[in-house]
Amino acid sequence: MSEQTSTVLPKGVTASEFNTAVEKFRALLGDDNVLVRNDQLTPYKKVMMPRDAAENAPSAAVTATTVEQVQGVVRICNEHKIPVWTISTGNNFGYGSAAPVERGQVVLDLKKMNRIISVDAELGTALVEPGVTYQQLYDYLEENDIPLMLSFSAPSAIAGPLGNTMDRGVGYTPYGEHFLMQCGMEVVLANGDVYRTGMGSVEGDNAWQVFKWGYGPTLDGMFTQANYGICTKMGFWLMPRPPVTKPFEIKFEDETDIADIVEFIRPLRLAQVIPNSVVIAGTLWEAATCDTRRVHYTTEPGATPDEILKQIQKDKDLGAWNVYACLYGTPEQVEVNFNIVKGALKQLGKGKLVTEEEAGGTQPFDYRAKLMTGVPNLQEFGLYNWRGGGGSMWFAPVSQARGSECDKQYALAKDILNKHGLDYVGEFIVGWRDMHHVIDVLYDRSNDEERKRAEACFNELLDEFEKRGYAVYRVNTQFQDRVAQSYGSTKRRLEHTLKRALDPNNILAPGKSGIDLNNDF
Amino acid sequence: MKKPELLLAGLFGCLTLSAAAPVLADDEPAQWESGEQVYQKVCGHCHEAGIGPVIKGRSLPPAYIETIVRHGFRAMPAIRASFIDDPSLNAVAEYVSKSAADTGEYGD
Repeated sequence: MSEQTSTVLPKGVTASEFNTAVEKFRALLGDDNVLVRNDQLTPYKKVMMPRDAAENAPSAAVTATTVEQVQGVVRICNEHKIPVWTISTGNNFGYGSAAPVERGQVVLDLKKMNRIISVDAELGTALVEPGVTYQQLYDYLEENDIPLMLSFSAPSAIAGPLGNTMDRGVGYTPYGEHFLMQCGMEVVLANGDVYRTGMGSVEGDNAWQVFKWGYGPTLDGMFTQANYGICTKMGFWLMPRPPVTKPFEIKFEDETDIADIVEFIRPLRLAQVIPNSVVIAGTLWEAATCDTRRVHYTTEPGATPDEILKQIQKDKDLGAWNVYACLYGTPEQVEVNFNIVKGALKQLGKGKLVTEEEAGGTQPFDYRAKLMTGVPNLQEFGLYNWRGGGGSMWFAPVSQARGSECDKQYALAKDILNKHGLDYVGEFIVGWRDMHHVIDVLYDRSNDEERKRAEACFNELLDEFEKRGYAVYRVNTQFQDRVAQSYGSTKRRLEHTLKRALDPNNILAPGKSGIDLNNDF
Repeated sequence: MKKPELLLAGLFGCLTLSAAAPVLADDEPAQWESGEQVYQKVCGHCHEAGIGPVIKGRSLPPAYIETIVRHGFRAMPAIRASFIDDPSLNAVAEYVSKSAADTGEYGD
């Protein structure tokens, strides 16, 4: 064990027990796939959350390349009561990155399981392993001239469909509600069984990727944002690439326009005139993604004054709110729908329409158009340059797609952020009847005082939104237990009952979404 | 044990497997075709787009690049060996270090 320099251990596990488990991991996976040296573990520790990175430090990381190896890892973890935190690409920045929810957990890194198992060009389906990235899948479709279009979150090039869907992430095309487009999972359970959802358990079946429900209980959702199994394959649907895509933007001048915008969009969205997940982005989101940094305007600490925001809006030709949507279909279909949008906008009496031709390849229109038409890029990481310093937490409360609700959430969020000396950098992503109100709580993580403020700010956001009946749909690993409380004790008791039944040794990602048998439920 | 043929099939697509012979000499095949490919598919998305600083044409020492990639730096994420293995990291670090400056919008 001479090269084992990490001194971190899983909670409640002795060094000798841990070392025995490590030896078994080595026998199973080979030395190269069992990482215990500090230098090997360093890239698993970098986080964007405010708490000390040591609180998320893993004791080891192991990389598996087959389902049998994943089963073997689970067996060893059961034998030695080792908690294991599974990642696919590990690039879920602002939600916890690759680091485990609790110090000492062993990371099971599935990035090397990166086979595109099948893509059916006729049915528009895919089956992939955890390590497949959207960039890899995009390249595969391009190289093989397959006319299907991907939907992905903004970190598309380095993130992947399996991990994003397991965390119920969203994208920007008509297939943007990714879990809705999921069709068939393979899951390694804590007892080592390999379970396939939907039609996947039927001998000789070929409908696994086309029919979601199978027979009897449909359990797919139970495995998302959860710790009841390790997903090793996932099927999902891809949209046929249409002959025409027409991305467009509508800029609105005033921050008070948000309620009217939502009332304008909802009927178009519900009727599927606009079929994709529309985005309504605030000024600073837009500014940051076209290379605007706070330091260009002020070096004063604290919240950026409204006058500066107005100046940025003017300098960069941005709206206070910027709506992005896209039309898809034949030229005739797109023309009809575009005329309906223009008619509704005329009736609204405000908002400046910008087409792709008018935008002329400039940012942020260009990256938005790419996200809505399935072309990977990382332009949105410009957000991290607004304040700099590598601190980011997504605060993402759900709301009704109703103007008055969005108005209320926006005002509340901005007040709390500004009170803590931070800025509102947010967007609304319009589902069908809901909004994901996505706010990037950006702060300088290298500044301890700002780190503390950001943490206090995030707690206050959770508390104040909860008081008004709002909760987030997803959160970074520092706050997962806190958010579980928002959803009430009945739900938590049921989740812990399932956990006891499926994973009595509590080895699979204890703490994920607040589910941990060491909790008092 | 590592299964390089599996990795290659995944990375470059089953249909193009035969064309995906790695050019990097090492004990085992690297995950990527070349340093340039890593740069284009990963680094360039930020470092050619005004998100991360320009890194080409600056004669940055390969060892420095490799350290930053594994540790991350401020907003730059840390990248694990499971994604970009050591030989591929070495190749992209050499590529970036020896590259000429671009003359595009962010390459001046």
